[in-house]
Amino acid sequence: MMKVYECCGIESVTKKVYCSSCGKEITNEIDVPEEGTVYSYTVIQVPPAQFAHLAPYTVALIQLKNSKAKVTARILESVAIGDQVKLDSIVDGAYVFKKVGSSKVLHNS
Amino acid sequence: MTTVYVHGIGMTKFGSFEDKSLKDLLIEASIGALKDANLPKIDAVFVGNFMGGTLSNQEILGAIVANDLGLGYIPTAKLEGACASGGIALRQGVLSILSGEYENVLVVGAEKMKHASTATVTQFINTAMDQSTTEKEAGLTFPGFFGTVANRYMYETGAQKEHLAKVALKNRENAMNNPLAQFQKPTSIEEIVNARMVTDPLGLFDCSPITDGAAAVVLSSKPSNIKVRASSQSSGPTLMQDAIDLLSLPAVKISGERAYEKAGLGPEDIDVAEIHDCFSMTEILSIEELGFFPKLEGWKAVEAGETKVGGRIPVNTSGGLLSKGHPIGATGISQIYQLVRQLRGNAPNQLAKQPKIALAQNLGGTGAYSVVHILERV
Repeated sequence: MMKVYECCGIESVTKKVYCSSCGKEITNEIDVPEEGTVYSYTVIQVPPAQFAHLAPYTVALIQLKNSKAKVTARILESVAIGDQVKLDSIVDGAYVFKKVGSSKVLHNS
Repeated sequence: MTTVYVHGIGMTKFGSFEDKSLKDLLIEASIGALKDANLPKIDAVFVGNFMGGTLSNQEILGAIVANDLGLGYIPTAKLEGACASGGIALRQGVLSILSGEYENVLVVGAEKMKHASTATVTQFINTAMDQSTTEKEAGLTFPGFFGTVANRYMYETGAQKEHLAKVALKNRENAMNNPLAQFQKPTSIEEIVNARMVTDPLGLFDCSPITDGAAAVVLSSKPSNIKVRASSQSSGPTLMQDAIDLLSLPAVKISGERAYEKAGLGPEDIDVAEIHDCFSMTEILSIEELGFFPKLEGWKAVEAGETKVGGRIPVNTSGGLLSKGHPIGATGISQIYQLVRQLRGNAPNQLAKQPKIALAQNLGGTGAYSVVHILERV
């Protein structure tokens, strides 16, 4: 499961100290499944030196299932907006997701 | 109530200058601004710079400027806010005069980047993202953020790569008339759309270049014919995954609203603007956030030519970051350079009707900082 932090209806995978809406300390932690849909993506062709060995690689913003929060992850395959993805592994501190269903399947089901 | 005025402007050519150091660039732009202001006694210096420490192994830029110009042992400081470093330095200069502490202030921004490899520059530019996060470890780059934004924008609006290209083409056409711009070669929609991809869907022409250059401004509480009507700043999310709306840049929106409120003006009052087009996509989002066009309709305005010279609200008559160039710390100050020339009536791409009100917006990080200044010809 992945941790999502919530206050005043704002959900984030980033743990912040105080809620920017009410100013109180954020204490509500929710477990959400490590899966979701591709909200958007890019294919990075010009990488920083640290990731040169991976290029070109896909990075996506994933809308997590059962949550308003999104998470940024590297994706093993090429993807389109709406594709279903699931956590594959955590590599050197990065979430690496894999595609488990295409947006077309989602629309037809 | 103190008012701040612009007394002098200076700018180096933007481009690749192997033989000039970061200091050389700072001094050259400063001399231009000081001469333009008739050499007033400067009370303080504010420097905008992002990568002097990493790329040139050089800090203490404020003291170096004061020392090498021979300004005396006056207070100085360097301001850093990624690509908004110049705008933030300018704003600190404005605030320091408003506080009553100083009468005349020199603000100068510079960056020296061309001597390093693209991979090294990309690595250091990435320090403008939060480094201790899974997002950074996933390999998201700074251009990659705007590529992800662009794919979603196109998905939601129906805009095409050609619309992004039109921003790049407009700014190139403007730069062709600006002798200080980095890129002056003509281009075409076809060349832009078919250029090497940097981060899908953004190609080479959609991304601002690596540039050497500097720009400077002399501010004063003594009157001149260019008044600073408003100076404002806002922060925004430092991570893509923290954006509540991926197609919004809250820092731009809030800094714009605060500037309009301070100036007692609205977007309809702006005659000419320099907007932080680090990427073609960014210019489209920011003309929406600043209220020039409705949300998700900026691409239509670009298509209709409303942001061209002669359009309803000309944007980036200098050529913008995309074609004038983007020496990071200089950028926010070079926007003021172009706008002051527009207000004085002697700019490259001078508007037929000499403008009275001008707006500059300078962005840093993935929308982490935004600074807005509004100038008025009085």
